[in-house]
Amino acid sequence: MSMILSRALGRHYAGDLSKLTTLAVANSRSSRLRHSGRKKVELASLSSSRSISGSSEMQKKAWDTQADEYKFWNREESRSGQAQMVLDMSPDSIQKEARILCLSAADDAANKPLLDKLPFGSRLLHVGSQSTDFPDELIDESPNVLFVSPSCPHARLILPLVLAKFPTIEWIHVRSAGIDFLESDELPYVGKKGIIMTNAKGQFSSSLAEYVMMACSYFAKDIPRLLKNKDSKIWDEFEIQELRGRTMGIVGYGDIGRAAAKLASVFGMKIIALRRNPEKSEFDPVCDEVLGTGRLSLQKLMSVSDYVVCSAPSTVETRGMVNADAFKASKKNQVFINLGRGPVVDEDALVEALQNGTLRGAALDVFATEPLPTDHALWDLDQVLISPHNMDRTATFMHEATEFFVNENLPRFMLGHSLLNPVDVSLGY
Amino acid sequence: MHMNIPSCYSFAIASLAPLLAPLRLRSAATAFRSVSYHPAPAGSIRTSVCVGNSLISNKSPTSLRMMSYWNRETSQPTSKFEGPITKEARILALCDPSDAYNKPLYDGPLPEGSKLLAVGSSLADFDQESIIVQDPNVIFVSHPKARGPLVELLNKFPSVEWVHTRSAGVDFIASDGLFSSPVQLTNAKGMFSSTLAEYCMMACAYFAKDLPRLMRQKNDVKWEQYPVLEIRGSTLGVVGFGDIGRASAKLAKAYGMKVLGLKRSIPESFSDPYCDEMYDMSGLLELVKKSDYILISTPLTEQTRGLISKEVLKHCKKTAVIINVGRGPIIDEEALIEALANGDIKGAGLDVMTVEPLPKDSQLWKLDNVLLSPHNMDMTLSFMRESTEFFIDENLPRFVRGIDLLNPVDKSAGY
Repeated sequence: MSMILSRALGRHYAGDLSKLTTLAVANSRSSRLRHSGRKKVELASLSSSRSISGSSEMQKKAWDTQADEYKFWNREESRSGQAQMVLDMSPDSIQKEARILCLSAADDAANKPLLDKLPFGSRLLHVGSQSTDFPDELIDESPNVLFVSPSCPHARLILPLVLAKFPTIEWIHVRSAGIDFLESDELPYVGKKGIIMTNAKGQFSSSLAEYVMMACSYFAKDIPRLLKNKDSKIWDEFEIQELRGRTMGIVGYGDIGRAAAKLASVFGMKIIALRRNPEKSEFDPVCDEVLGTGRLSLQKLMSVSDYVVCSAPSTVETRGMVNADAFKASKKNQVFINLGRGPVVDEDALVEALQNGTLRGAALDVFATEPLPTDHALWDLDQVLISPHNMDRTATFMHEATEFFVNENLPRFMLGHSLLNPVDVSLGY
Repeated sequence: MHMNIPSCYSFAIASLAPLLAPLRLRSAATAFRSVSYHPAPAGSIRTSVCVGNSLISNKSPTSLRMMSYWNRETSQPTSKFEGPITKEARILALCDPSDAYNKPLYDGPLPEGSKLLAVGSSLADFDQESIIVQDPNVIFVSHPKARGPLVELLNKFPSVEWVHTRSAGVDFIASDGLFSSPVQLTNAKGMFSSTLAEYCMMACAYFAKDLPRLMRQKNDVKWEQYPVLEIRGSTLGVVGFGDIGRASAKLAKAYGMKVLGLKRSIPESFSDPYCDEMYDMSGLLELVKKSDYILISTPLTEQTRGLISKEVLKHCKKTAVIINVGRGPIIDEEALIEALANGDIKGAGLDVMTVEPLPKDSQLWKLDNVLLSPHNMDMTLSFMRESTEFFIDENLPRFVRGIDLLNPVDKSAGY
């Protein structure tokens, strides 16, 4: 099996085995990811035609699936269709069949790829939005994959019931990036039972990065003033600000944060990033400074940033993390942008900071309660740009997220290979 | 790479340059030769090439002309000018005396060998008798109504050899009198590009994410999710791939856009990492047909006046957005208004208009699908002062040492 796999992969990763082994050593967790930025490129460009042969031990060492580049998917950078290609070339490398249940709203149009284009070796057994929607007969079919969409109402309550009904489920794939909609007291048992959970990390990053730069320019060029003047037919040549030379602070430097940082750095902005594992970004060419978590780190970031981007997921650790203390440390005339999750920010403290002029303005795509209640103070504040959690909502985004499941992770599952975008259920992201 | 010629070779080439005049050589010499419109006075010695003029390598390798131009983001300020001072700069400033941006010029200090003789906004402001005996040889222009006065000054003071404008556009002083005179003309090309590039991307996002809709919904306290467009994957057509166009293309490429460019004349074997396809003037319709966002970043010349005509607008996509950071008259404004009102194009971001300030009765004020700004999208706190400083710190020291000036304007082309 591994020989077929290796020969198949060899055509695409043909190259010097010893080079790969060196890379593997370099990439092992204990040492710095010194070559991490170049690694993908190196593999793709190895030109020697000697194909990989050797034992499966070598395979495992050569391809350290614990390294971030292999674990996580980025829509712009990752090469797609590799696992599917392997399946196409040698169907007998399938280790197991995928028997899929889909937990979503009944009319969820983004399920289309599930209905139309499943790869050979996988079957969609049923779509439902409650445990009772799935007929008991299905238990005999031993479904092993659960696809969960945020369109399913009350998913956090239903998920444990579905898992209890179908104990053969080994893998849950979540169609969105955020899994906070599944949070419940029962969720940790998922990890304990050995069920793997994966999500759509990296699917939405570039759209959100575009929103970040728009939000920064919105304040730098004072679009509100332009619009007001236009309404009143006033020709008022006011001074505008450049983004070049300013500092962007990114709270939660994951895929979205990095996509925003890449754009901002081309604009000539300086980047300071904050993440749980700062050593992973130590050699990131786009960051000028990387901080770890901790109250002082956040204060430092707030004190030097002209534009703060909050792109952290909502977890037990991050809830309410950007609070009144953080805003007290804000640099003068700071703009705050939230596109992660509302609960990461203490909304009352945010409103207070806007009202008393601590912040110059805010651009918010996410809120503690969505839809934002009509009596919420944020609606009345002139210096706030509100968007209804739609800044990643391209016409095709949810389809693409389903396609990611169908084209990337399903084949990997069937090949018995590691899945992309693993979620640490205990951490919440 | 041509760009990395060590300075000793540059010295050799520069001093041989006059001899190489008729030949189009691919060397640093060509760069200086082809843009020096004012032949060095007989007997002057070009002692060295400014070491500070080395531009960083992310410029297009074939754009050797760019070595003579200043780019605010990539050019290094010259720390030391080599060579003896061979002449004095005696400056007249055709400016508003109360213009604060010119303070570095009015208050000084000016570099060695330069002095400011007088400031005035028209001929009458200058005491002709006392000035003419001082032999002014430089005019610095920033006054918006300088067209006529400049020609008068040139006629009255024939000793003037060099005119420098504080702005990038020279259309405000374009005249037969100026273009037929032998003076060398330089401008502020490259001073404003990155800020305008930021505006270009903002204008694209303004329409892609439907910012007007967000504002309306906020006003109505309405929470309604709607799909947004990605900028990634769309096409930006840059009409006028000069410094501003290129700076915008650089950002556009980072966003993942496809970039089409248009230049008046494309140098042989042109290649630029920021441009996927380059057209010359005959390809305008094709460029427009393929573009989702069209950036107008040409100067205003006889060739570009009315370039974006009714005919051109007919070829635009219905979803096209036109962004103008060049000059208003490049677009047929009536035709544009009609296209916007009829929905023949999606929208426009206009920082420049045919008449500025925009008259109150213009329909542009009322069109919903127009992002209007009062020609201020490059107006940073520091921009005009930086432009004056560029004249003082970069070009004046070159002038007094007989070194080729930066940012030469091709008078025959008008930019």
